Amino acid sequence: MPLLFTGFNAFGQHECVSGDVDCAAGFSELNAPVATQNQCTISIGWRYAALAFGRKLCLRGLLADGPNECVTLEAAGDIRALAAGDSHCLVLLQSGQLYRVQPKLQAELVAVRLEAPPRSNSGTKRSIFGTAKAPSSPIIEHIACGSHINVAISSENCIYSIPSCLHQFPERQFRVKQLECGHEHAVLLNVNGDVFTWGNGLRGQLGLAELRVEETPQLLEALAGIKITQIAAGGWHSAAISAFGDLYTWGVNSSGQLGMRVMKAGGVLKEPTVYPLPQLQDLTECACLQGGESNDDCAPLRVFAGSRHTLLIRRCGRLWVSGWCKHGQLGRQLQNLSYVDAFQALEGITMNPTADDVLCGPWSTLLHLRCTT
Amino acid sequence: METGFLELTKLLPRWVDLENVVQDDVEARYILKRAADHLANIQSSRDSGEEETGYLVGALVDRSWERIHTGHFSQVPLATRKIYAIACCFKIFFLLLESTTPAQKDACSEILDEAQLLGCLEDWSELKVALMDYLDKGGAAAPSSETLPTLEPLTRVSSACDIPQLDAPSLEEFQTKCFKAGQPALLLNTIQHWPALHKWLDLNYLLQVAGNRTVPIEIGSNYASDEWSQQLVKIRDFLSRQFGKDTSKTDQNIEYLAQHELFSQISALKEDISIPDYCTISDGDAPGAVDIKAWLGPAGTVSPMHYDPKHNLLCQVFGSKRIILAAPEDTANLYPHESEFLANTARIDAAQLDPDTYPLVAKVKFYQLLLQPGDCLYLPPKWWHYVRSEAPSFSVSFWWE
Repeated sequence: MPLLFTGFNAFGQHECVSGDVDCAAGFSELNAPVATQNQCTISIGWRYAALAFGRKLCLRGLLADGPNECVTLEAAGDIRALAAGDSHCLVLLQSGQLYRVQPKLQAELVAVRLEAPPRSNSGTKRSIFGTAKAPSSPIIEHIACGSHINVAISSENCIYSIPSCLHQFPERQFRVKQLECGHEHAVLLNVNGDVFTWGNGLRGQLGLAELRVEETPQLLEALAGIKITQIAAGGWHSAAISAFGDLYTWGVNSSGQLGMRVMKAGGVLKEPTVYPLPQLQDLTECACLQGGESNDDCAPLRVFAGSRHTLLIRRCGRLWVSGWCKHGQLGRQLQNLSYVDAFQALEGITMNPTADDVLCGPWSTLLHLRCTT
Repeated sequence: METGFLELTKLLPRWVDLENVVQDDVEARYILKRAADHLANIQSSRDSGEEETGYLVGALVDRSWERIHTGHFSQVPLATRKIYAIACCFKIFFLLLESTTPAQKDACSEILDEAQLLGCLEDWSELKVALMDYLDKGGAAAPSSETLPTLEPLTRVSSACDIPQLDAPSLEEFQTKCFKAGQPALLLNTIQHWPALHKWLDLNYLLQVAGNRTVPIEIGSNYASDEWSQQLVKIRDFLSRQFGKDTSKTDQNIEYLAQHELFSQISALKEDISIPDYCTISDGDAPGAVDIKAWLGPAGTVSPMHYDPKHNLLCQVFGSKRIILAAPEDTANLYPHESEFLANTARIDAAQLDPDTYPLVAKVKFYQLLLQPGDCLYLPPKWWHYVRSEAPSFSVSFWWE
């Protein structure tokens, strides 16, 4: 069972194996050429999904007039990463070249031209023969996008708000580990464990005490000094896990996506919806801890987020979830609830915590299991 | 299917009418066409894909809600707010096809209020009114066992007033002494004819005309504090919590229906007030639009020191408000917040000055006054004001340019 899907699929974005097979925890197995091709890359938009294997790119879903539409394209080289946004999908090739494609029936891959950084190093660099090196187009290593934001990061640590260069981190001693985007904000993690955020923070997404817009990456002061190992960006929320196994969430909690209570006791009035500063989440004990062993074995290891939902893989391989589940994004078992506002375990699924992967669409969740369970 | 419901479906827009609204929005095109066609042929072809179409319409409502909540509200395209509003209307029809129990109708009327608050329903006002009427008739809003109090009219008290008081000034007098002079003033005896002054004292009247509507409520004593939040509630629940006879809940939060365009939502209430003639005076040639906002809450609601960009006439219907003013020239001495959201709000607490933390406040000339029932306060643009209700209070403000 390599690809298990749950969530919004009203436009046939995802082709399920033989109809409606209900696997563990209310996930369905997807029909995708993953088993044979290890180089499969997927990104999920709201009305379509993008799937790449080798140099082939396939867009499925509502592309023009109705559901189950599909187009297949071929890129100039092998595809390394995809980022499916509302109006276009970013396509990054192994070569570091960036393309975009609109989700429509006459889809075409168009090369993305990035503006040179304001003070380009390449102009002053000289080769050993003493002649100036011609400025070349940047080699892109990371991409992410949301409905109001498109980010690319080059091998020279230039941060692009496509197509302009916003900022350049030092080329030495700074390596990007992970880049994620919400609807309108970006979160970046470097290998040292520092978190940077930028974009629209008017809903608390940036982790700053003050609600404001930040044009360029800012070090997340509230987490400074804590080594972060994993980050996630949901629609208007963010999450981070530290090397100590602590989980922090911040931003909008409209549907419990931060793992915090939505309504006050009594069920009439709401708790605050926005938490601008990272909140340390005190998770309840895992069921595998009945023996009373140390909690370290079940510490959160990785975190993932969709528009209004959040998933965790704990060290023991259990999947914990919180947030909006109305469209089945947390498995069909929870679909009759509108949301879950405290992290809870999804029974019936055990992940390999390091090898398996989770991918969130805006209203969906995809588990990529490398080995059979 | 009841005939009342069938009559309602005739008011729904047909796909040809919607095509211009949705334009090139791929998902709205597909879903709204499907929904409009389904409901247009409701008598001949029930059931074919009804559940799925209903689900898709609900998904479009959720999707548009997310779009409306992304970026600045002012920059959300009007088309998105129209798609949200009409998708909400279609969703209501599909819910009513499932069931027409009072609870279901109640849920539908909440959806309609949200369509009005977040979306743009102006193209379909006939549909909105008919739908609201239909839902109100059969809703669960049964006359609750609890009746609300009728407030005692306040006896006028004499109070120091640091700004000029004008007794029913003529338009010319207002224009010279206030509008052109940039002079705040207390206008007496200018809204005596409003039916609201006596009608609204009976909170059961408000309950009857407005109880079923959902409105945004501010919770917590003031909007600049960390504890503050905002949410949508039914007016009847708000009235019962804040003015009801059961005052045993001592830990109760202060809730404030503030800065809300209640009168475009509930036209019956608009008939109890009228726009003062002063609002027709403008800097330009043609008088602009007037924003009318309602401010209803218990004693103790606070609007911290802030300013608004427009001319403001604050009219007191019942209860009294303690108001502290400061001139635009004192802006720097009031320590405005630095964040984008709160740049028009001062960090100082005007009711309890703290010169140790904010030494410049010593330089500020503050003006104190008490706004009593029937009074109107004129504030020129950019004048700072702090407002605290001394008793259960209902004010109506008029903003114009």
